[in-house]
Amino acid sequence: MYDLRIVVEEVRGFCDMPMRPGDYCELRGSRLSIPDGRYFCMWALQSVLPLLPVKQRRIAEENDWIPRTFRVTCPDPDGMVILRIEQLDARDRSPVDQPGARGDSAVERPAPTGRTLVEQPNARQWTPAEGNERGPLPRMLVNSRMCSGCRSCELACSYRHEGVFAPSLSRITVRKDEVGGADEPVVCRQCGVARCVQVCPCGALARNPRTGAVRVDAGLCMRCGDCVAACPFGAIRIHPDTALPLICDLCEGDPACVGRCATGALRYGRAGDLRHAAATGPGVAGEATAGRRRDGGAAECEAGGQVK
Amino acid sequence: MSARWGCGYAGRVLLVDLTAGRSTIEPLDHGVARRFLGGRGLNMRVLYDEVTPGVHPLSPENRLMFATGPLVGTHFPGACRVNVSARSPLTGILGDSNAGGFFGPELKYAGFDQVIIQGRAPRPVYLFITDEGAHLRPAEHLWGLDVWETQQAIRSELGDEGVQVGVAGPAAENGVLFAGVFFNLARPAARTGMGTVMASKNRKAVAVRGRGMVRVADPAAFASLVGTADAAIFAHPEYDARRRLGTTRLVRALHGLGCLASFHFRTGCFPGVDRVSGERLAATYRVKGKACFGCTIPCSRFFRIESGPFAGLASEGPEFEGLAGFSSRVGNDDLAVALRAIDMCNRYGMDVISASEAISFVMELGEAGLVSSREADGLDLRWGNANTILALLEKICRREGIGDVLAGGVRRAAELIGRGSERYAMHVKGLEVFQADPRGIKGYALGVAVASRGGDHLRSEPWFELTGDSEEATRRFGEAEAAQRLSPRGKGRLVKYYEERCALADCLQVCKNTLVNMEILPYDQAACILAAATGWEFSEEELQASCERLVNLERCYNARLGLGRADDTLPDRFTREPLPPDSGPSAGSVVELDQMLDEYYLARGWDLSTGLPKGETLSRLGLEISVNPGAAAPGGCS
Ligand code: SF4
Ligand code: SF4
Repeated sequence: MYDLRIVVEEVRGFCDMPMRPGDYCELRGSRLSIPDGRYFCMWALQSVLPLLPVKQRRIAEENDWIPRTFRVTCPDPDGMVILRIEQLDARDRSPVDQPGARGDSAVERPAPTGRTLVEQPNARQWTPAEGNERGPLPRMLVNSRMCSGCRSCELACSYRHEGVFAPSLSRITVRKDEVGGADEPVVCRQCGVARCVQVCPCGALARNPRTGAVRVDAGLCMRCGDCVAACPFGAIRIHPDTALPLICDLCEGDPACVGRCATGALRYGRAGDLRHAAATGPGVAGEATAGRRRDGGAAECEAGGQVK
Repeated sequence: MSARWGCGYAGRVLLVDLTAGRSTIEPLDHGVARRFLGGRGLNMRVLYDEVTPGVHPLSPENRLMFATGPLVGTHFPGACRVNVSARSPLTGILGDSNAGGFFGPELKYAGFDQVIIQGRAPRPVYLFITDEGAHLRPAEHLWGLDVWETQQAIRSELGDEGVQVGVAGPAAENGVLFAGVFFNLARPAARTGMGTVMASKNRKAVAVRGRGMVRVADPAAFASLVGTADAAIFAHPEYDARRRLGTTRLVRALHGLGCLASFHFRTGCFPGVDRVSGERLAATYRVKGKACFGCTIPCSRFFRIESGPFAGLASEGPEFEGLAGFSSRVGNDDLAVALRAIDMCNRYGMDVISASEAISFVMELGEAGLVSSREADGLDLRWGNANTILALLEKICRREGIGDVLAGGVRRAAELIGRGSERYAMHVKGLEVFQADPRGIKGYALGVAVASRGGDHLRSEPWFELTGDSEEATRRFGEAEAAQRLSPRGKGRLVKYYEERCALADCLQVCKNTLVNMEILPYDQAACILAAATGWEFSEEELQASCERLVNLERCYNARLGLGRADDTLPDRFTREPLPPDSGPSAGSVVELDQMLDEYYLARGWDLSTGLPKGETLSRLGLEISVNPGAAAPGGCS
């Protein structure tokens, strides 16, 4: 029987825990342990659990897939947390040599655009989920079930950034299915390991360490549009005149769209954490007022939404 | 101060001649914009100047106009609307209708304040408007499609879900005279037959996609004024009810007052009210709140019926007019049937008020023995018969059998049927009246009697009479009883005031829920926000005068067609038959119209015997026109 270590190899999307690459837990016999002061996401854990008993055992069958499988993805599609199951050497507890396990060498992986992406194993992106000393940073939270489809958020965004009312210049877009009655605000989610940053061939995208938002360096950007294609949420648009990507910059920590959303469909905070909703800072006068209305409205809307 | 086009106003007018297949873009005239503000004001000026009494409503020479306002496209809450105007084929007089949704802002982003369409296309077309101008595209393949199908077909054909489309549905194609221009799922400019005019021009739809922007001259001032409006909206005592129920809350509320149009106005209370009320809808089929562009209330709702004979029916809305129209007015207490009827109107492109009047009208004729079931194509004319309601809508849309009789509105239907059926036709100036019984709300009654587009409440909405706030009434209207809904006193000044507020809403293209019913944006703030948007100086008085000017211009338009005091009337039922004893707190009430008219004309500076503006009134407002009832006066009004 092997002892096992379950390691967070990579966070490709946004993990709300947050799990960080390198986080792990170990299994000896049937005893599971998590290092002191650390934690492990229940969802991530349950996604590997069914595999663990078989990974503990040596399997002789050549045609079985189990011996060749070491990675499991957490079920949250936004998170895209990749977990690696390592079988430990009984003597020094180092991972036994495993085909396909990522060692210390650079690994090649095709990027969504078709370009090959070279990733340095230790060069992780800074992730907003990790936050700073004050704890995890807030991010954009969307509840499309509450969204009335008013598109006020688009106007707030273009007004704040461009000084004009122009949905075509907004960083947030409300996708509508009129007949189906669905309204979905599409907005940057501040991914942990952001695909847009990863694919940018000229290093024009970087994280703002204070807010975690993706920043566009207009001087470096060569307007190739790769980030648009890479974003799994379709959250990037191209400025019709400058051809620069329009990426949410969180308004330096005071998102105008959130302030203007009267229904509570948009929040700036952490899932399950109401403190941030209340603490959203004031924007332009009109926006701040709308923001203050948000919570009462949200409660009502949710109740309405549940009635079937 | 010089105007800066592009701030507030887009500064361009699109002129389309369908006969020639040509379009031109002209600058919006500064003087006109100042004097008529936008939206309904811009349209009425063109209507007065260009659609003279000799122009038949369904002739190519009639103009069909779409206009937005200076705040549309900004984030002023509810500044999303568009007015569609022409001479009405239903009433023969001024035709005009206002819609929310998303069309208005898109037109602004394309860079147009107004679109004026004349002529008749040789073959079916639809108009596609972009920042560059107008494109006429073939629409043979769209002819016969319903409103939703047409919108979807055009969006997919243009490959852009962001395209906003106004559609003339099958009812308009078939010549139903109360067909509207329908936007989004359920956002029609439904009244006075504007869709019929559109179809008569061989035009199936108008689609628009704008990539541009709306600027404001003073962004900081504008934002702070929007903040003030927001705060007032959120603090409004009705905010929560409005966002949960929208206008459907009126079904129960008016029943409680004893003036809900029930069984075709035979009484003011509806026994089945709790089965069809807005509250009931919210507790059963409501899925979530829906909004027009940039609205912070928002009052609309998406609903879905999950089971029963109408399972799968899902749509936006409804509003009070549709809900009461197809429940209490026709005596139906099955909510799902009412929703289906409204849905049919939305898909076929028919006005729910006129359609529900047509149906309740025949039902009452059936009851009175004036029309037999055989004459009504074998339909059971008893109140609330679901099959009859839905079948009649189908027949009206197709102009089939009894539906053909009703498709011209109840005034014509009564002429065709004869036998004294006129007294059952609930219209004013040919336009069917709404779902509240005027006998229980006398300010509304006066408003409906004098409204420039015929029997309609949205020209005045004097809701203040429901407040009972005598002190405020004395302060504002010099008569404590202006706040008493059953009193005829003070209603002339009340209606004058609210007509002008409605004119302001229709010119700025802001929702009347906020601007009129919630009293958001008083004139002084309106002047400030217009100034912040456009960069022009506006004074409170000037703005108020513009609204008054518009009301007078509309009166002159109808006067030129021969209308006067004798036409400011109500169906006899409202002025002669007291509401019956089962009408709760409104029982026994009739409308004392003449006395209210006198007070109204006096307040307006109109002649008491003719009901027409006096020369001095017109010149005070800078309208250089002389009204000579019945005589086709040449000349413009600008
Ligand atoms: S733009 Fe898209 S990929 Fe980049 S951080 Fe935002 S959501 Fe993630
Ligand atoms: S402002 Fe809020 S309710 Fe309106 S569209 Fe945006 S997310 Fe939806």
